[in-house]
Amino acid sequence: MIEIKNLTKVYRLNKKQMQESHTKNPKKVAVNHLSFLAKEGEIYGLLGPNGAGKTTTLRCIATIIKPTDGEIVVEGHEARKDSEAVRRSIGFLTSDIKLDPQFSVDYLFDFFGRLHNVPKDRLKARKEELFSYFGIRDFAHKPIKELSTGMKQKAAIAVSLVHDPKVIIFDEPTNGLDIITARSVTDYLRKLRDDGKVVIVSTHIMSEAQKLCDRIGVIIDGEKVAEGTVNELLIKTGGQDLEEAFFELYKAKKGA
Amino acid sequence: MNGVKEIFNKEMARIFKDKKMIFSVFFLPVIIMVGILGIINSLSQNMADDIEEHTSIVYMMNEPESFQAFLEASQTKCDVKNVEDMDDAKEEIKNGTADLIIEFPENFEMEVSDYKEGDTVPQIKTYYNPSEEYSSSAFQEISGGILELYRQSLLSERVGSLDNIAVFHVNSDNPDMVIQDDAKAGGKALGMMLPYLITILLFAGAMGIGTDMIAGEKERGTMASLLVTPVRRSSIVLGKVFALMVISGISSVIYLGAMIAAMPMMSGGETLNIQLSPKQGVMLGALLVSLAFLYSAIIVLLSVFAKTIKEANTYVTPAYMVILVVGLLTMFSTKGADLTSYCVPVYNSSLAMKEILTQEIAMSEYGITLGMTIVLGVLLCGVIVKAFESEKVMSL
Repeated sequence: MIEIKNLTKVYRLNKKQMQESHTKNPKKVAVNHLSFLAKEGEIYGLLGPNGAGKTTTLRCIATIIKPTDGEIVVEGHEARKDSEAVRRSIGFLTSDIKLDPQFSVDYLFDFFGRLHNVPKDRLKARKEELFSYFGIRDFAHKPIKELSTGMKQKAAIAVSLVHDPKVIIFDEPTNGLDIITARSVTDYLRKLRDDGKVVIVSTHIMSEAQKLCDRIGVIIDGEKVAEGTVNELLIKTGGQDLEEAFFELYKAKKGA
Repeated sequence: MNGVKEIFNKEMARIFKDKKMIFSVFFLPVIIMVGILGIINSLSQNMADDIEEHTSIVYMMNEPESFQAFLEASQTKCDVKNVEDMDDAKEEIKNGTADLIIEFPENFEMEVSDYKEGDTVPQIKTYYNPSEEYSSSAFQEISGGILELYRQSLLSERVGSLDNIAVFHVNSDNPDMVIQDDAKAGGKALGMMLPYLITILLFAGAMGIGTDMIAGEKERGTMASLLVTPVRRSSIVLGKVFALMVISGISSVIYLGAMIAAMPMMSGGETLNIQLSPKQGVMLGALLVSLAFLYSAIIVLLSVFAKTIKEANTYVTPAYMVILVVGLLTMFSTKGADLTSYCVPVYNSSLAMKEILTQEIAMSEYGITLGMTIVLGVLLCGVIVKAFESEKVMSL
């Protein structure tokens, strides 16, 4: 289970960043008092436009960055106090964490398995399962730099799941993938949910969120503006589909 | 410390599984160095040969017949011309078409033979151009060598045997003049150069790989993949620093080996006689390992604060300059160092290496050096771990 209470992340901008974002305020609030709960056996979706704070939230959960304020508890471990335990229980995937281009998927899978203390025979079984599910075997021994975008993403997903984590956090996992590869990724996320894992995905693709997520938290400007199942969101906003519902929420937040 | 070994092995695999990398890290610098030395050597040899084969063009004025005969007898390669106009001859020297002018006074032979005590001693004037190789060489050979012999021959004509005017000789027959311990002397020559070379090579060997290992991983976005694993930041840092140590160690051994092998080429056939006692060997070895650790920590620390390899190189280069200068300080110091000098990191290692080779180091001095180097390395590793924990420094 993941429990997030009043998560706030404030970035300090340097002069150059202030100029770039045309502001004189040296502080940028990326996430503002965000709270939500993601449970075992469900896919929780963070839905929001670019720059809404989805990735920042996920990075805080993964303990890569520290929250300015608030509390994150992953499988009973507080993220700030027990970050190693948190990292042990999560599989984290985001587009700006990359695999070493010089090495093969096969090498990196074993490498990260060892870093996660996965026993040898278990590692072998995990490799067998993930490589065959994502069809990685054909290119397992090629260096990452020689792989296509889709192959790279499959490799990154397999590597992030090497230790069979209880919590899976995927930041826009289907970004840049063709429809077939994207489908195999979402199908696997459903399988993980059915296996009783906690799955959190972030996305800005409405159709994907509508089909995949059991519950959705809508984030705009770092704040959660609505939360619930797709149906609950439709009823709340009176929209026909998630896209309409999202625009209603967006208009209400921006006051337009 | 789970993870140190895995990170270390991966860094090693990065280098040793890639033939291009092995070539560019370990062998290319050696090939370049030996190649450059070879070219310099053959060019300077060519130049020396060319000067030797050159027939000097010498202008003479009022030259006595006895000198002409003397010059011919010496078999010096030269083409003698008479000065018709002194200014023209000087102009030719200036633009390099002639090499030397020898101006004898008129009636030189008569002045010499009729000399009485109190007369002015006749003067021979020579002119040359030191910025022309041929001219310098002609000046040295003829003005310095042959004229001197000519002077001595005229002198012996005047006074009979030259021994009549020699009050005493110094070391004219004393082959045992030099009294020294050969091992120590060898150590001194070596002690002057080796610490300098080693400090430079250890650092240079680690520079390229070190910046790639840290700033390169940040730039490629692969560092974060390590940071989301449960491995401690300190394990990541140690794994990388140890890997860099080994790489800088291997590369400096290869570079040094190549340098010693290429030494005859540099010093015209002389080889260095290196003899280390087991004790010296152990002391040097331990010091080099600790120095590789310190240098690796310095390079990693500077690279951590850079976002790109390019930026890291601009941070590491000044540190390299400091290492170069410090190495030079020990190379040209003659005074024995006091104990406080052994407390200055980096400087103390070069100093200690020099003193180990000349067998002059005290155990206390060695202990302080080794201790300081290791303690500073550990402290820097601590700072690197702190930097790894900072999301701002790691640009996450």
